[in-house]
Amino acid sequence: MGDQNTLLTTAEVRHLLRRAALGPTPSEVDQLAGLTRGQAADELLSQQSKRFRPGGRDFQKAHDKWLKFLVKAKRPLQSRMTLFWHDHFSVNFSTVNDVNRMAEYVRRLHVHALGNFADFVKDMNKDPAMMDFLDTSKNRAAIPNENYARELQELFTLGVNDLLGQPNYTQDDIVQIARAFTGWRYDDNLAYLDTDDHDYEADYPERGPKAIYQTTGGFGGGGSDFTANGEGEPEIDTVVDIILQHTDSQGANTVARRTTHRLIEFLCHDSPPLAAVDAIIAASGFDSNWDIAALVRAILVHDVFYETAGAPVGPSARKSVKWPIDFVVSTMRLLKMKVKGRPAWIPGGDYISLRDHLENMGQVLMEPPSVFGWNWENAWLSSGTLLARYSFARDIVSVRYDNPLFKPELLMSLSLTDPGDIVDAVTDALVVTDQITGTERQALVDYLTDAGAVSSLDLTDEYTRNNKLHGLFALVMQLPAYQLQ
Amino acid sequence: MAITRRQFIKRTGLGAGGLLLGPSLFGSPFVRQAFANIGSRYLVVFYLDGGNDGLNTIVPYDNVGGLRTHYNGQRGAGNGGLQLAPGSLAVPSGGGVPPMVDPNTGAQLGFHPGLIGLHNLYLDGKVAVVQGAGYPDYSLSHETSTIVWQTGNPTFNSLLSGTGWCGRHLQSAYGPTDVPGVTIGSSVAGEFRQTATSVLTINRVRDFGFPYDDYEENDEPAKRDAFAAVYGEAAGSTNPKKSFLGAAGNSTLLSSESYPPLYGVYTGARQSWYDDYSALDTGPGRRFREMAQVIYGVHTGQPGVQARFFESRQGGYDTHADQGRGNPGDAQYDLFREFGDAVELFYRDMEDIGIANDVCVVVWSEFSRRIPQNDNGTDHGSQGPMFVIGGSVNGGVYGNHPNIDPNALDDQENTPYSQQGSFRSTDFRDVFGTILKHWVAIPEPTLLSSILPVDSGDPADYWTVHDFDMGFLP
Repeated sequence: MGDQNTLLTTAEVRHLLRRAALGPTPSEVDQLAGLTRGQAADELLSQQSKRFRPGGRDFQKAHDKWLKFLVKAKRPLQSRMTLFWHDHFSVNFSTVNDVNRMAEYVRRLHVHALGNFADFVKDMNKDPAMMDFLDTSKNRAAIPNENYARELQELFTLGVNDLLGQPNYTQDDIVQIARAFTGWRYDDNLAYLDTDDHDYEADYPERGPKAIYQTTGGFGGGGSDFTANGEGEPEIDTVVDIILQHTDSQGANTVARRTTHRLIEFLCHDSPPLAAVDAIIAASGFDSNWDIAALVRAILVHDVFYETAGAPVGPSARKSVKWPIDFVVSTMRLLKMKVKGRPAWIPGGDYISLRDHLENMGQVLMEPPSVFGWNWENAWLSSGTLLARYSFARDIVSVRYDNPLFKPELLMSLSLTDPGDIVDAVTDALVVTDQITGTERQALVDYLTDAGAVSSLDLTDEYTRNNKLHGLFALVMQLPAYQLQ
Repeated sequence: MAITRRQFIKRTGLGAGGLLLGPSLFGSPFVRQAFANIGSRYLVVFYLDGGNDGLNTIVPYDNVGGLRTHYNGQRGAGNGGLQLAPGSLAVPSGGGVPPMVDPNTGAQLGFHPGLIGLHNLYLDGKVAVVQGAGYPDYSLSHETSTIVWQTGNPTFNSLLSGTGWCGRHLQSAYGPTDVPGVTIGSSVAGEFRQTATSVLTINRVRDFGFPYDDYEENDEPAKRDAFAAVYGEAAGSTNPKKSFLGAAGNSTLLSSESYPPLYGVYTGARQSWYDDYSALDTGPGRRFREMAQVIYGVHTGQPGVQARFFESRQGGYDTHADQGRGNPGDAQYDLFREFGDAVELFYRDMEDIGIANDVCVVVWSEFSRRIPQNDNGTDHGSQGPMFVIGGSVNGGVYGNHPNIDPNALDDQENTPYSQQGSFRSTDFRDVFGTILKHWVAIPEPTLLSSILPVDSGDPADYWTVHDFDMGFLP
């Protein structure tokens, strides 16, 4: 059992950087070496940038800007959390069809990524891209649109059922909350209540005092009245405040439990024990302060995060399938490569853009498939998406271009000649040495030696380097272990 | 000297299949069971993506029961002009042609004039039209409703979440090294989703090769050996994530070698059919062409291909403001031409191969559209028609036309989903269940316990009584 004062092993530092940053680059591993869990978490949390907004003339530019930001990220935890919230408050460009609004949406995700969850939800209520995506801007009394009211509860806060399987709200709660959201429009990225709009006028008398959660939520038979603080902005803010006081069938805070559960799933554990969820909420005070940074810190010092971190891949090791964006970004960071070109692309192989590579793998930034975000874990893996990962691994080390961006001499010594040493150097560079079995290592050695036909390699020879060393890098990135974190 | 891919495949013994597979295909009791179930048959699931306007797909031709009057009243020319005149409809008739009559009202029905291909197949008795397909508490969200259809889970039963209605069968019947399904597209179809076995995603069979770097082609066998060794090791890992990856990567490697040759096998024997698909120059044409290559390969016993379940789709049905009338150049017309022509060609191809009786195509859309129209378009609606197509299909009309009487619409102005009364809706799970029972040969108790369990709730509104013997399959 450990706590925030437990010293991290090197394997745990790598684990921390795989799961809570954007890959265990050597400089980041050095930076956290010798720290305790608490110190390392504080170090990652202290790295917060103020502003990021992936604007641009078209979608491609905005996409590449975000990708470049991730590859260069000096604050990888905040960037990773932004990806989590992008999946959580899912909005896609295909529906919104406006780069400027998407950039503003991403800016808000980034600002709140480690901020206050209550403020975050209230800001998302009034985010123009979100208002388009979930039809708030089309929600009128005459044609009520319950889309946002439903997803606000189902996906952003409460969940359909609590962690014990009991329903959190009723269809009537959706209808009532949808009424509060009628009349909202936006202009230049700012939302406002349109009091001149005839639809709003028609809505107004109907809105009135209205109670939600009369049968769930622990508010008693009268429920809770969301118009208590007045109409307009106070009204939809109050809806959020009420949701955040909702209690589940065990009397615990529903949103705190669900959000914490989801975040633990994202960071380390595909089926978080309820006891750990509750302990982390208690340690962070998330159910009252809604401080996301405190919540993340509480997870990053808890045993649930580190329990199998030092173990090689065995039956109990908790492994997670890397998201495609993580696969690409952490690879480029480990290989010390930059995002270049317009559109950004990998010189070589298929000659396709990084966005196309990512699309083939199943994840394009700003294009989650639906309001449900992406499907995680094994759902990332199909023959098509695996071939896309293998293609990326091939292309990123390809020499089919005059000026390849891949430079192995930056990552290892080219004076090595022993095949086993070369394999170790390459798996060290990609930080999977302790994640593979002896059989897998031997298969890589056999590849270099053509099954024993040669006993040493001269990496200063260009042909050998381009053929076998580049081939080895591609193979290591194609390893099952390299798809996992 | 560089070796060719063909030599390479031969040399590495892929022709024999099962290089990396532990138990050989028929050595697995799971697979024997599954093959005994579906036998020599194929199931194709085809999705009209976006919410097809069913009310302009199967249209009342005459006014028996008053349907035509209601249709004209809502879809009249003065209000957006989506009304299809009776004269423009494709109305099946002739000796031996199944009557196209609404079972409830007795009204004569017709196809949208763009559905020429489907009409031709109907005349041959090869199309079942299933009207009024929907589900209780229908959602008007594309995302939610698509998930409902693909998972067969309108009530969001947590036991069924995350798996497809067909995937639940694949999971129980096939092992981790099997590849029973193929999606023609870029991501695994939701219908097939599960965690036990591999479903391929293929855009073009010909291009589905493993991405070896071509700097030194002679190095390919060494790369392949290493890849096969590490994935073989991973497949036997005690870590569930790693073993899943191992199995998926193995299947991908083997399939990337066994599938591309199917292009040559098919075109070698059926070049003119390939050209006919290509000449359609449409998305559905290309996708049915790719499916035909795989089915022909399985049928002729090509090594390393066993797929029996297929999925593909056609997008563009979200016709809010550009649906148009039944003329060439109108959105729904053009979509239907593309779909109908492709599916007819596919059927004729299968007929020519001699396996039309072994292929069943089921067509669905996540919802229909509203009977009142916008300006030249329609909003999301409730229940709509499905099609089941194949040589073994009992052609005809199943299920009732939705009640389009303006006084009968629900408070969202949609035809109401109901399990009672003369306008009783067809729960889509009865259609999938009939296919799983009669085509895939899954016993009814298995279907009800783990694949399509009935709802609890008010029998008037919920699917509490199943009918897996709808009659469109023997």
